Amino acid sequence: MYQRAVDNIRASFRQIWQATDDLVFDVGETELRWEDNVVYNQEQRGESIAWTLYKDGVRSLAFKPGVEEAEIVSFLGVLQRARNLQADAADDLLTLLWAQDFQFVSYTFRELVSENAAPIEAGETITSAPPTDVRHAVEAEAPPKREGLVSIDDFDTTLYFLEDNEVAYLKKDVEREYAQDLRRNVLSMLFDLLELQTYGTVRAELISIVENFIPYLLGAADFRSVALILRESRAILQRARELIPEHRQALEGLPTRLSQSDSLSQLLQALDESAVHPTEEDLSELFQELRPEALSTLMVWIAKLHDPYVRDLIQGSAARLAQANPAEVLKALASEDGAAQLEMVKLAGRLKLPGAPEGMERLLASEDRGLKLALVEALTAISSPSAMRLLEKAIDDGDRDVRIAAVRFLGSRGYRNAAARIESMVTGSKLRNADLTEKMAFFEAFGALVGAKGIPALEKMLAAKGLLTRKEDPETRACAAMALGKVRTPEARAVLERAVQDKDPLVRNAVTRALREVGT
Amino acid sequence: MTAGGPPKGSIAETVQTTDGFLRHAGRDFLVVLYTAVRSLKLYPIENAQVQKALDDLTTTTKHLLDVEKEIELRLQGEFIFVNSTRLRLDLDNYASFSHILGVLRQSGIGAVRIDEGVERKQLQIFVSLLLSYAAKEVTATKVFELAQKLSDAGVTHIGVEPPLETDEDAEDEERQKEAAKRTYARSVAVTKEVINSIRMGRTANVKKVKRAVQAIVDQVLNNEASLMGLTTLRDYDEYTFTHSVNVCIFSVALGRKLGLTKLQLYDLGMAALFHDVGKSRVPLEVLNKQGGLSDEEWRIMQAHPWLGVLTLFGLRGYGEIPYRGMIVAYEHHMKTDLTGYPKSLRPRDLSIYSKIVAVADGFDAATSRRVYQTVPIQPDQVLKEMWENPRRGYDQIVVKAFINLIGIYPVGTCVILDTYEVALVHSANPDVTHVHRPVVRIVTTPEGGVQHPGFLADLAQRDAEGNHPRSIVKVTDPVKYGINVSDYFV
Repeated sequence: MYQRAVDNIRASFRQIWQATDDLVFDVGETELRWEDNVVYNQEQRGESIAWTLYKDGVRSLAFKPGVEEAEIVSFLGVLQRARNLQADAADDLLTLLWAQDFQFVSYTFRELVSENAAPIEAGETITSAPPTDVRHAVEAEAPPKREGLVSIDDFDTTLYFLEDNEVAYLKKDVEREYAQDLRRNVLSMLFDLLELQTYGTVRAELISIVENFIPYLLGAADFRSVALILRESRAILQRARELIPEHRQALEGLPTRLSQSDSLSQLLQALDESAVHPTEEDLSELFQELRPEALSTLMVWIAKLHDPYVRDLIQGSAARLAQANPAEVLKALASEDGAAQLEMVKLAGRLKLPGAPEGMERLLASEDRGLKLALVEALTAISSPSAMRLLEKAIDDGDRDVRIAAVRFLGSRGYRNAAARIESMVTGSKLRNADLTEKMAFFEAFGALVGAKGIPALEKMLAAKGLLTRKEDPETRACAAMALGKVRTPEARAVLERAVQDKDPLVRNAVTRALREVGT
Repeated sequence: MTAGGPPKGSIAETVQTTDGFLRHAGRDFLVVLYTAVRSLKLYPIENAQVQKALDDLTTTTKHLLDVEKEIELRLQGEFIFVNSTRLRLDLDNYASFSHILGVLRQSGIGAVRIDEGVERKQLQIFVSLLLSYAAKEVTATKVFELAQKLSDAGVTHIGVEPPLETDEDAEDEERQKEAAKRTYARSVAVTKEVINSIRMGRTANVKKVKRAVQAIVDQVLNNEASLMGLTTLRDYDEYTFTHSVNVCIFSVALGRKLGLTKLQLYDLGMAALFHDVGKSRVPLEVLNKQGGLSDEEWRIMQAHPWLGVLTLFGLRGYGEIPYRGMIVAYEHHMKTDLTGYPKSLRPRDLSIYSKIVAVADGFDAATSRRVYQTVPIQPDQVLKEMWENPRRGYDQIVVKAFINLIGIYPVGTCVILDTYEVALVHSANPDVTHVHRPVVRIVTTPEGGVQHPGFLADLAQRDAEGNHPRSIVKVTDPVKYGINVSDYFV
């Protein structure tokens, strides 16, 4: 609809240019007149374009050919901005129009603001000496007239022109002026002052400026400048030893305040909602300055972030914090927020943080299946003795998948400490109601961990018994066969070969697979 | 074109394309013309450099004529128009423009017309004649004599015309002068209002300041001389306010000379107007103290640059934080080696705007009468000191550009001529090679009587023998002769 409106305006202008070379309106309070004819009228001032122009002093408005292509959209934008300006704003319609430097729009205006300017008039007459005295004074002051007194040679001719290199120097300086990071420049001034001005009131004002500057910078997504503030504050704390405790505390508190949950949440929310993202470098500069306590908040937010780019950035920053601060990792694992716990567990696993299992034990008792699966995954990644110890516990977990994941890993890693617990499950009744996959996982882990010592028990389970002995069910027998395959000794092979012709296809199949695993 | 439908290839497109071409090709033309004039002035016609310059002039002229059929180069005020398109000054060409402007004026030319039939030989004759006529004394008939000479030499495709002068021009100049006075008076009043508001802890009206600076930029772009003349006003209002406005005017004019865009001039003007805003936090008893300041008082005065930064942070209603203004307020007393004040610990490169404002500030302060400087220093002496004494710490290239802007004898300087006349410098000579020969207003009669308004004389003019009838021999104190300088500018 907007584009259609713009197209209509452009088409209208093009038609007008076929009849006239310019279009000049007189501006009234509620109307625009063209050649004394009212061509626009809107009595409701709030709705009136004429009033928007008139109230700030515009009295005529002229458009030239070309305006429809180059400037009409900007011009309408300026009108819209001017309509929304508060009375105490730093701009009005005239300042906004001026700043656009329109080439195809011109206007006349009446200066409405009175400044009580004093008129400029000739000054008081200085009593002048009689002409003859003046003449004598001039003659006395001036050297005698002689031809060619003032010659071009008397002057430094290098002054006449700027040399090419001087022009280049100035040009470069102007380019630098507009390429520089103004905020960084101003911050450098503030920190120079903070360091050099020892007056308490001045320092208090400077610290207050810096504190108030941070939300402004964050709002402007200038994370690098915020990082600079935190870094420079730290430098000043080290260098300016005469800082009074109050100021020291305020400076020390800056990164802490920014790392607090509320402030950091605002920042992360703004980041997630922002259309323009900072670079990884900018953001990591800021996050490097965050206090370790920020980790928990980051974990909470990682789960909430919608923007994958931002999530990746935050994960990178969280990883750095987590690696450097084991205690904060434990705090984050102890968070009340389940989503934060989950993210921390995943991160700990990705980073293989050796201290993390300490904070994970409590989580194993959680009802949250997803969390527990993530825990097992993290613990298997960490694989430290304490992680293995927790995995051993996990084989008793109430959730099948957790148990399977834990026992498979323990088996694959040959974690013999778990052998007794697994044996009790394999030989006991705990797996009776388990499905084939779980049974298989436990039996295979048993075979891998117990080795040759487990052959008698496994043989007993695999063998088809006499009439008086209860025969194990085919699933258990198949699992026993697979476990023997993991033992990988000639004895185990011999037991398997004896069962090659078993009548039960499930068992027979398992034996064949186990034999392949044992090899020749 | 279909009836009722919009034309294909709109007028706007045509206008824009033509404007763009003319700006570009017009600038090229001016630069090659300047090179040819300058080469021919320095070397004989056979010189290879001259020959190349003439080749370039011919090629560029023909390129323009391929598109435009006729070239009209017209002078209007301080501007040069090529086929009605105003050429924009920038750092790459302003010296060439000024020189050509001066040479054409000196020859009494208001417009040059070149049409399609022009050949290299004709351009060579035109440049030679231009040089010789520029050296002659200005007379009302000079341009017609030049036109005749061109015709006699068979130059039929280049014509020269006198400037268009009408009653409207005089009225327009008077209007410009009045507009300049209004702009100056308003700017001083706004500055006063803002500084006083800040001093009293009230909200300052930044909108008014913006309007004032925008008006100064407009005025400098339209008629620089009338506003520059007003910087000679003394005792119009408190020093702090007039000084801020003067620094703003000088800075914007210098920025224009350096080719800054209109919006960049605005940035510079805002920063310049606020450069001393920190003084609003200096106690009045220190600011207005007569006689010498104690060490402690100097220390307080020297705090004004950084107090300016704090003040600008507290300036509510500014909208955007005025970073550039803060930087200029902070740096304008720093020297190029970063000595001066305030002391700088962290590495910094002085902003070009700070360097410009420093020069404008130093010049206006030294040439003004202040509470602790009852006798102002003569403008030429101030420039000499700024240029020759590196310990002052000004950027030498900016000082040089400033001297190019205001001349060796700045506007308002009172001089004695070798004719025993007393004169006031009215404006710098537009031709920078005549930096020592400004346009002056003769304010005494041959008998020694002080006259008002007196009359203008261009010291670059020569008489029939090629001599300068008037030259400056000395700079003097106007008060000694009962002359109130600003009376001649208001």
